[in-house]
Amino acid sequence: MSDSAKLVRTESAGPLQTLWKRVSGMVSRHTSSLLMFMVLCVVVAVGAFMIGDLHTASVQVQKMYLGSVQGLRSIGELQYEAQETRRSTLYALTTNNSNLQVEYADQSREADKLVTDGITQYLVRARAAREVELGKRLQSDWAAYLKVRDEVLASILEGSTKEAVDLDLSGGVPSFERVRQDLEEIKRLYDEQASGQLALVDASSRRSVVRLMGVLSFTLLFASASVWAIQRTKMLNAVRLAKLQMDFVASVSHELRTPLAVICASAQNIADGVVDEKEQLAKYGSVIRHHSQQLTDLVNQILQFAATHEGRNRYTLRPVEVELVIAAVLRNTHELAEEAGFVVEQHIAAGLPHVMADFAAVCQCLQNLVVNALKYGGKNPRIAIWAASVHGDNGKLDEVCISVEDHGIGIDSTDLKQIFEPFYRSPVVTAAQIHGTGLGLPLAKGIAEAMGGKITVVSKLGTGSRFTLHLPVAHSIELQNQVEERVAQS
Amino acid sequence: MSLGLRKKLGFAIAALCLLLNTPSGGAAGSGVAASVPEDNLAVIVNQSNPIEDLSLKELKAVFLGERSHWPNGRRITLVMMDPGVPERKAVLRDVCHMSETEFSRHFLQGLFTGEVFVSPKTLSTPVGVRKFVFNVPGAIGYVKASDLDGTVKVIHINGRSVDDAEYPLRIEPRPAK
Repeated sequence: MSDSAKLVRTESAGPLQTLWKRVSGMVSRHTSSLLMFMVLCVVVAVGAFMIGDLHTASVQVQKMYLGSVQGLRSIGELQYEAQETRRSTLYALTTNNSNLQVEYADQSREADKLVTDGITQYLVRARAAREVELGKRLQSDWAAYLKVRDEVLASILEGSTKEAVDLDLSGGVPSFERVRQDLEEIKRLYDEQASGQLALVDASSRRSVVRLMGVLSFTLLFASASVWAIQRTKMLNAVRLAKLQMDFVASVSHELRTPLAVICASAQNIADGVVDEKEQLAKYGSVIRHHSQQLTDLVNQILQFAATHEGRNRYTLRPVEVELVIAAVLRNTHELAEEAGFVVEQHIAAGLPHVMADFAAVCQCLQNLVVNALKYGGKNPRIAIWAASVHGDNGKLDEVCISVEDHGIGIDSTDLKQIFEPFYRSPVVTAAQIHGTGLGLPLAKGIAEAMGGKITVVSKLGTGSRFTLHLPVAHSIELQNQVEERVAQS
Repeated sequence: MSLGLRKKLGFAIAALCLLLNTPSGGAAGSGVAASVPEDNLAVIVNQSNPIEDLSLKELKAVFLGERSHWPNGRRITLVMMDPGVPERKAVLRDVCHMSETEFSRHFLQGLFTGEVFVSPKTLSTPVGVRKFVFNVPGAIGYVKASDLDGTVKVIHINGRSVDDAEYPLRIEPRPAK
């Protein structure tokens, strides 16, 4: 296990990182929806704000109305009862009937009691210093008037009408006038307070309108920006996809044209009778077969990618021996490696557990990685295949990692994020005239993920790359099922 | 409204007030009538009047208009009930020692000669009398003990309070011993 010890889960991420990756992936996939959701949130917030503002204004108006109406009503009642007190006293002057005079005196006292109670209530309700001052002054002036009124009533009842009139003129009229002025002043104060509250409500309303306009403008801007961003993102994606597809078409055309040209030339030579010797014919036949195979492989790869991309591939997962997979892949790529003059080193740990995979698919996946290593291996014709098991956090065997390492041109860090995207080809490889469709890695990634695994990469420009295929370990029950299946088949 | 009807109405209101136990109507609020014979006649003055006690002689002088002012300087205003009312009859009988005719003549003559300055005020109901006395600081009147309340002041007669057994004024005359 010395080799496996070298393999660590350099690319394995912690739960938080995994979560972050998932969230960022979701965000990038659902940018439009998120933006629309944010617009919705802003609209809801604006609505709530408006409702709150309207409610506040409504409460202020109600308070103003209640305060003003109640205050003015109570002052109106006070004015009426004060007049009633005086009127009843004066009525007593108009008759000599003692019974009626007593009745009028009684009415006057009932009215004055209501006024006294009203003033007391006003003082209880009074909050502002001016209100209290006016209330106390009214109380004092009313008491002074009542004192005179009592004297006048006594004189009337005694039968001293002239004395009563004199008393009323000298004391009653001025003191009642003071009471009347006090009441008028309180009424004015209510009017002033109502005006002040009205001004407050008006100012609050204006503030609300300004805030509302501001918030609505902000919402409009935000919504416009969101729509613009969504449209721009979609447009850029469409442009990018179109460019990738154009590149793909160009690349595929190029890949098709080269073998087709060779096949055509070989066929033309044979047809023209240029080649007639048996050995040469065999050589031409081999060339035609080789390039035909290349064309077939290319078309198969495209079809397979399309199937994987659309989720049409259904893999049958069963326990697979890793050594067999590696052997099959090396066998398939042996000729290619030999032609390119590459040496393939193997560092396969002993006693590797079975992995859960579809044999053909996993071979295809690993083969893509090996072919890439041969293709981008650069001037150092040496690649290495590592295979080791990796323990999970709980100490159990978790997965098997198969790495393909080359010492070629490597990948720039800016390209690393995009190499698994369909049709993507790095400007570096395009400039280096290395042909390809940009489908090899996306296809490998799709296959790995469909089998519950993944592919990770560590690379440095000019130094080389290491692609690792992670595959889940087959558990004992799955192995047992496989054994039972084989027994049943035999 | 005829005099008889007004009198009846006055009595009815007084009775209703007694029944309802209101402060302005009944004797229950005075704290006096509950313990005194209802037949006694209370002499009442304004709460501001400092006078506490009068002899029958002084009372006669007051009721016949021979005394014009109280010791505090307030002018005396006499309040009488309508002629024929038992309270008035009792006052004429026990205080003035006159008949109705003699009493009227006394005041006519007194006003004419200048010996009497103001004729008595006449009211129909005990409530009216009470309210009059309550409103006029120098007023003096009378009501049955059962018609008393806390708005007026009851004075002693010959040193006897209205709840005293030897109190001299009663609606009905005392039976001869």
